[in-house]
Amino acid sequence: MKHRHLRLFGPIALAFQLSSAASAHHSFSAQYDSSKPVEMRGTVTKVEWTNPHARVYIDVRDDTGQIANWNFEMASPNILVRNGWKQNTVKVGDRITVSGYLARKGERMAIAGAVADANGKPIFESNPDIRP
Amino acid sequence: MRNGAFRISVVVAAACVASVSGQITVPKTAPPQTRAGGSITTKAPSGPTPRKPNGQPDLTGVWLRRAGIVNIEQMLPKGEKLPFLPETLRRMSLLKSQDDPQLKCLPVATPRSEPYPFRIVETPSHIFILMEAVHGYRQVFMDGRKHPTGDDLQLSWQGHSIGHWEGNTLVVDTVGFNDLTWFDNYGHVHSDKMHVVERFTRTDLGHLNASVLVDDPGAYSRPFTLNYTAELMPTAELMEYICDNEQDAPNIDAPADAAIDAAKLLKEQR
Repeated sequence: MKHRHLRLFGPIALAFQLSSAASAHHSFSAQYDSSKPVEMRGTVTKVEWTNPHARVYIDVRDDTGQIANWNFEMASPNILVRNGWKQNTVKVGDRITVSGYLARKGERMAIAGAVADANGKPIFESNPDIRP
Repeated sequence: MRNGAFRISVVVAAACVASVSGQITVPKTAPPQTRAGGSITTKAPSGPTPRKPNGQPDLTGVWLRRAGIVNIEQMLPKGEKLPFLPETLRRMSLLKSQDDPQLKCLPVATPRSEPYPFRIVETPSHIFILMEAVHGYRQVFMDGRKHPTGDDLQLSWQGHSIGHWEGNTLVVDTVGFNDLTWFDNYGHVHSDKMHVVERFTRTDLGHLNASVLVDDPGAYSRPFTLNYTAELMPTAELMEYICDNEQDAPNIDAPADAAIDAAKLLKEQR
C-alpha cells in the first residue's frame, strides 16, 4: 500500500496503547497492530460524535492519485470533552494530519493517536497523563 | 512537552482548580464549569468527610475509578493472582476479544469498571450508583430487606444488592449475577454463583476507598479481595453515553488476552 500522504513513522506505541487503555472499550492489540504505525494527511469528510468512539473520516490521496476514505477511531466523546475537545474541534472540510495504527482486520480503519491541523499544530494527542 | 493540546488542557484545568479551590465544601455548591463532564486533570479535593444529618458519611458525588479497568488483577494485593478453577481456565481459553459483552455495549457490572465516572445518590430507602459507562445503574436496597432466595432470585446483569452501614463504612452485598459479564477487557470471567461484598469508606472529601470481596465458588478456588480508590470529580456531571455506533466487535478477530494466558496455564498443568 503506497500513499503519498501515508507514511510509516517511528514506533511511539506506548502513548497509543495507553490511549487505548484509557478508552478501555477493547484491547488495543486485538484490534490494532502496533507494528504498523501510519501518518495520513487528508480532508475531513465526516465526524461521528458518537459512543463508544468518536470517529473521524478523511479522504487520503495515494501516489496514483486515487482517493480513499479512511475511518479513524478516536476516544469516546465523553473522554474527548473531558480532555478539552469539542464536537466541532475538527470539522468537515478541515485538512488534518492523523497519526495512529492500522487496524488488523477492518479495511481502511485505524486508531488515531495524534491529530494536527493543516499547519501541523497539534490539536489532539494521546498522552499517558490525560485520562478520563 | 511538544503537545500544544495538552498544554492547553493543563492551563484550563489549573484555572478550574483556582476557581473552585477556596469554595469546595460539598460538590453541589461549586460553581458551574465550562466542561459539563468535569476536568480529568483537576485533582481530587481534600477536606473532611462530608456527613449527613444523622452523622453517617455522605457518599454523594461524582466519582472516578482508574484502577483495574484493563486487567482486574491490578487490584489484587501485590503478588497475588486470581485463583482460577481448572474449568474457568478452560472456559477462558476459548474466549475471543470480540466476545466481550461490554464491547457490544452490554452492561458493565461490579467489580468491573470503565474509565467513566459514576454518581452515588443516597435516599433513605435506596442508594443508587449511576454509571456513565453504557448508561447503567445499580440500586442498593437500604431498607433492611434480605436477598430473595430460590426461584425468587432472578439472575441479572447487576445482581441484587442490599446495603447497610458498619460505622463509617457502607457495606453492599450482591448476589444473583448472571455469568455473562467479564471482569475486564482482558477477559477474566465469573460464574452465576458469584457473591460480592463491597465496603465503601469515604476517607476524606475527595477519596472513596473500596474493598471488594469476590466469592465465586463456581469459578475460583477461594475468595479474593480487590481494592481501589475512587476520586471525587468536583463539579463534574455525568454525560450521556448511548452506545449507538459500535464498530469494534465486527472488526476484531483475536483471542482474548486472558485466553492466551489460560491456554499457557493449562499447558503447564498438563
